[in-house]
Amino acid sequence: MTPVMTPLGSALEHYVLLATVLFALGGAGFLLRRNILVQLMSIELMLNATNLLLVAYNRSHSSSLHGQMFAFFIIAVAAAEVAVGLAIVLSFYRLKSTISSDAADSLRH
Amino acid sequence: MTLGAFFFGACSVICVVGALVTILAQNPIRGAMGLLTTIAGIAGLFLALEAQFLAAIQLIVYAGAVVVLFVFVIMLLGPTAGAGRIGEEARARYAPWFSSVLFLGVMGFAMALVGGANTTLTSFAPSELGYGSIEAFGKLLYSEGLVPFELTTALLTVAVVGAIAVVRSAPGKKPVRRLKSATRRMFGGPVEPRDAARSGLLPAQVNDKESTL
Amino acid sequence: MDTLWQLFPQTDFILLAFILGLPLLGAFTNGVFGKRLGKQAVSVAGLAAVGIPFLMSVVAFVMLHAKQEGEEPARFIWTAWRWLTLSKLSVINGVPGEVPVALDVAFSIDALSGTMALIVTGVGFLIHLYSTKYMEEDPGFYRFFAYLNLFIFSMLVLILGNSLPVMFVGWEGVGLCSYLLIGFWFSEEKNAAAGKKAFIANRIGDFGLLVAMGLLLYYTGALDWAGMDANRASLLGEQKIWPLVGDKIWFSPYLPDGIATWLNRERSVSPATLVGLSLFLGCAGKSAQLPLYVWLPDAMAGPTPVSALIHAATMVTAGVYLVCRMAGIFVLSPTAMMVVAVVGALTAFFAATIAFAQNDIKKVLAYSTVSQLGYMFMAVGVGAFSAGFFHVMTHAFFKACLFLGSGSVIYAMHSRIHDSEASQDMRNMGGLRRFMPITFATFAVSWAAIVGFPFTSGFFSKDEILFKTFTSYIALPGAAEGAPYWPREVSLFVFCIAVLTAAMTAFYMTRLVVGTFLGEFRGWTIVKNFQAADGHHNHGDHSAHDHGDAGHAAHATHSAHEHAHANEPLEGPEPHESPWQMTLPLVVLAALALVSGAFNAHVLHSHLLDTWLDPVFASTKGYVQSIEGAEELQLPLLAPGLLAFTFGVGIAYWVYVMQKGAPAARFVAQFPRLHQWAVEKWRVDELYEETVLGAVDTLAEIAVWVDKYVVDGIVARLTAGAVAFSGYVLRQFQTGRVQTYSAVMVIGLGAVGWHFVVPHTEVLTKVDASGGRELQAPSGFGYSYQWDKDGDGKWDSVERTVKVEASAASAIVRLQVTNVFGWARLRKVRPEPTKSDSPTLTLRATPSAMGAKPGISLDGGAR
Repeated sequence: MTPVMTPLGSALEHYVLLATVLFALGGAGFLLRRNILVQLMSIELMLNATNLLLVAYNRSHSSSLHGQMFAFFIIAVAAAEVAVGLAIVLSFYRLKSTISSDAADSLRH
Repeated sequence: MTLGAFFFGACSVICVVGALVTILAQNPIRGAMGLLTTIAGIAGLFLALEAQFLAAIQLIVYAGAVVVLFVFVIMLLGPTAGAGRIGEEARARYAPWFSSVLFLGVMGFAMALVGGANTTLTSFAPSELGYGSIEAFGKLLYSEGLVPFELTTALLTVAVVGAIAVVRSAPGKKPVRRLKSATRRMFGGPVEPRDAARSGLLPAQVNDKESTL
Repeated sequence: MDTLWQLFPQTDFILLAFILGLPLLGAFTNGVFGKRLGKQAVSVAGLAAVGIPFLMSVVAFVMLHAKQEGEEPARFIWTAWRWLTLSKLSVINGVPGEVPVALDVAFSIDALSGTMALIVTGVGFLIHLYSTKYMEEDPGFYRFFAYLNLFIFSMLVLILGNSLPVMFVGWEGVGLCSYLLIGFWFSEEKNAAAGKKAFIANRIGDFGLLVAMGLLLYYTGALDWAGMDANRASLLGEQKIWPLVGDKIWFSPYLPDGIATWLNRERSVSPATLVGLSLFLGCAGKSAQLPLYVWLPDAMAGPTPVSALIHAATMVTAGVYLVCRMAGIFVLSPTAMMVVAVVGALTAFFAATIAFAQNDIKKVLAYSTVSQLGYMFMAVGVGAFSAGFFHVMTHAFFKACLFLGSGSVIYAMHSRIHDSEASQDMRNMGGLRRFMPITFATFAVSWAAIVGFPFTSGFFSKDEILFKTFTSYIALPGAAEGAPYWPREVSLFVFCIAVLTAAMTAFYMTRLVVGTFLGEFRGWTIVKNFQAADGHHNHGDHSAHDHGDAGHAAHATHSAHEHAHANEPLEGPEPHESPWQMTLPLVVLAALALVSGAFNAHVLHSHLLDTWLDPVFASTKGYVQSIEGAEELQLPLLAPGLLAFTFGVGIAYWVYVMQKGAPAARFVAQFPRLHQWAVEKWRVDELYEETVLGAVDTLAEIAVWVDKYVVDGIVARLTAGAVAFSGYVLRQFQTGRVQTYSAVMVIGLGAVGWHFVVPHTEVLTKVDASGGRELQAPSGFGYSYQWDKDGDGKWDSVERTVKVEASAASAIVRLQVTNVFGWARLRKVRPEPTKSDSPTLTLRATPSAMGAKPGISLDGGAR
């Protein structure tokens, strides 16, 4: 690796790296966990990572605040999505008496 | 190490640890707490990036609403919320494992590419005054982002209605016995038994039939 | 007369269209509308469909006679339409070239076909008349007449065709009608099997005919009679037939020297021999010669009029007709003619031996037909074409009369014995002379003809044949210089066989007559005013109706009835004579059998038929030669024939009439196996079954095995398995779970991402006007380039596009692309000339293309 010539947190690439790690963790969590709630939480992780990236890039090109605005809307939509998603989880639970996503395989074959 | 670097490092560690807890915890409450930790870490990073308004919004909305919702649902589901551990009822899951490994690997590769290529990092230029403040943000939001803002309002309304619609039981299944409101009981129709005892009416005037409005 | 010439000019002889069209129309009418028209109308239509063509044939005959003078054969042609035109490579008179050959549907009539047409329509008419009574009770009456008319039509096409292909159409048509008519009562398995056998045996012969057609087309360039005769000289010469390919057999180096030399010796025959042998194969199939005669005895399963018409008078003589027609070509090959004569002789003898032991009258007559056909082939084989044809004519008359007479007898027997085999068995007959005088008289006249009683037609024709086999042979002109001819021994052999067979014919025919008509009646006890015990009606006018579909129930009860009476002797009424529709043809035919000898009685110096047919056989003149002093031998050679007749009839009379069959019974007791063998027709059918049919069966079983294990087992299962496997693999992705689907999405995204991250180095090559090349590297985000244009190892350019001169176009150009991540890749390009201006997409296969590890550029520096 290259020598760190700037302090942590003062270069764009640090934030990109962190966002990448968070996104990867969120993605892996979504793909591997069978609990629907944990899957939803992983999705939130991925969204947060994206927000971080957006804001970091916005700070790097700081002439306008479009990045932050975008992140703002992402937060709003994420909230709405969580609400509806949890409603779906509850309906699913009522139907299958479990919240293992493996139970949602009606499209099998 | 400077304060900023320390802050960044601490927040990053908090984020990553929280993420790991979220995806690895068996108990979903612990997962929710991990999410909360990550969100808090992200909020801290927003502050480091001079996005104060956004940091606040993050804490209010994400930590204050989303995580709370998660916790509500977990408590509603009770013990069953702990279903789906890794390795439980092992079935053929080649694709998810493979792709998650791929995911992590690709990310690592991307990191290596980015890290390896540049010999100089992109530093942040100093930002102007009022960058990331609520006034500047508001200005942008209500000028260029007005339409998305209004649409987001509609979206939230729809989401609320939709959530209720999804969760509601199918209509007509159980006949819901709706009680008459107090106003109706006072001004319309005969006296019901439950009010008769309270108001000391003559037995003859009591209506035995339950209202089924 | 002049009006006739005006109506029917020589080259556009429309009369032929009517002669052909009326039987066809009759067949169509009877077949399609027969049921509705009813028996009377069908009979009239059928008779008219043959009778009117007979009259027309007479007219045509008269016109031919008027026209024919001198050596020029008169031939009236009518062309219906052009069938097809072939353009082919052929060798005509030794010169190869492209020749357009037109095949027309054309018909012609000349002396030979005119006479044959008269015979066919005349005898056909009589048999139609006979059938109106014989088949009266049969529910398939109209179908029978439709088939009969169709047969007459096909036979006429065969005879009147102007070219081999048209004749072949008729050839196949008569084969078809033979099949239809033999299997007329197809509800019985054995009748259908007999029909199939006839058709298939015919078909084997037809292969020979097709081969001959191909050969003739190749050598003579034409397939009509005139064309073939004109070019027949091309059939002489040598045609190498061995070794088939190249100079020697491929495995001959592994054989000892002597054998290899013998094997590789070049053998050749003249094309005429090939043609003659192939044509004779066709004749052997159609005219029941060895080895394809096996269908004729089985064909007796059909109704008797069918046997009379098809298997005695007309269809089986088509082979002889073919040889006569192609006489000019047959005589070009003494070898082929020798084969014809020898096979004819052997067939005649062989069939006669079988006829000795048969008890069914129709079978005896069938083998006698085969034998007589052998006689005809003997005659035409030695070059006596008109003698052979004369025998065709007389045989048609007396054999048809014999068959119809036997039909009359069977008709009478059927009134009491309904089983088809028992009613034809001679052992159940005898003494019918008293009850059926007309039948007996006509039968006796025909018997006299066939055994060669002096001054009957059969006597003259048979003696002519005996004379000719002794004196005549085929030799190509210039025999003194070593041109092919045949040895004297062959003629003598054929002659001796012919005489021997004549004696045998006399013997078994006399046996037949004695067994059927003389002596005491053995069929049943004759009771005056017979009434059947359970009161069914007297079958006075019964015909063979039991074989029809409606009669099956009746048949069943009748056989049950007979079985019930098995222990008691059968009782029945007197056998009765047949009605006039059946006896009139018998009388006519018998009369013809008597007097038709006058046409060609050489000993009485009547050469009518010879002179009539001479112009047709004019082209054979130089090839048919007689031994020295043939003329003087004419009278002396009557002696063998007369001796054969006397001996045969005498011995038969002594054995069967005087000794009442005792010597024959003693012979059978002494040689039981020989006798059994003869009864079973020398087991030739069984031989064929084992060998030929066995081979076909084995082939079929191999095919079944291949189908079951190779095609089904391997091919079908393999493809099915491959499909199932791929389905199984793909099914793993359809788990119904979102995680699986999103996982696959991630993989896909990874691939897309990979495509963007990796630097691409495909080079577009454009050719400009001066022949130089313009090489363009692909563009991408943050790409930088380095080119090495002349292969010297030094980087020349950092542009995206470089130009290479035409002179340096063969040097290898190197390109290195670095992307924004610092990942560099190298590619070697050869700017070769491209055929078009389209970009060359070269495959990225060279391992050297993957140069750098990520993070390190190839040469440390310039970016």
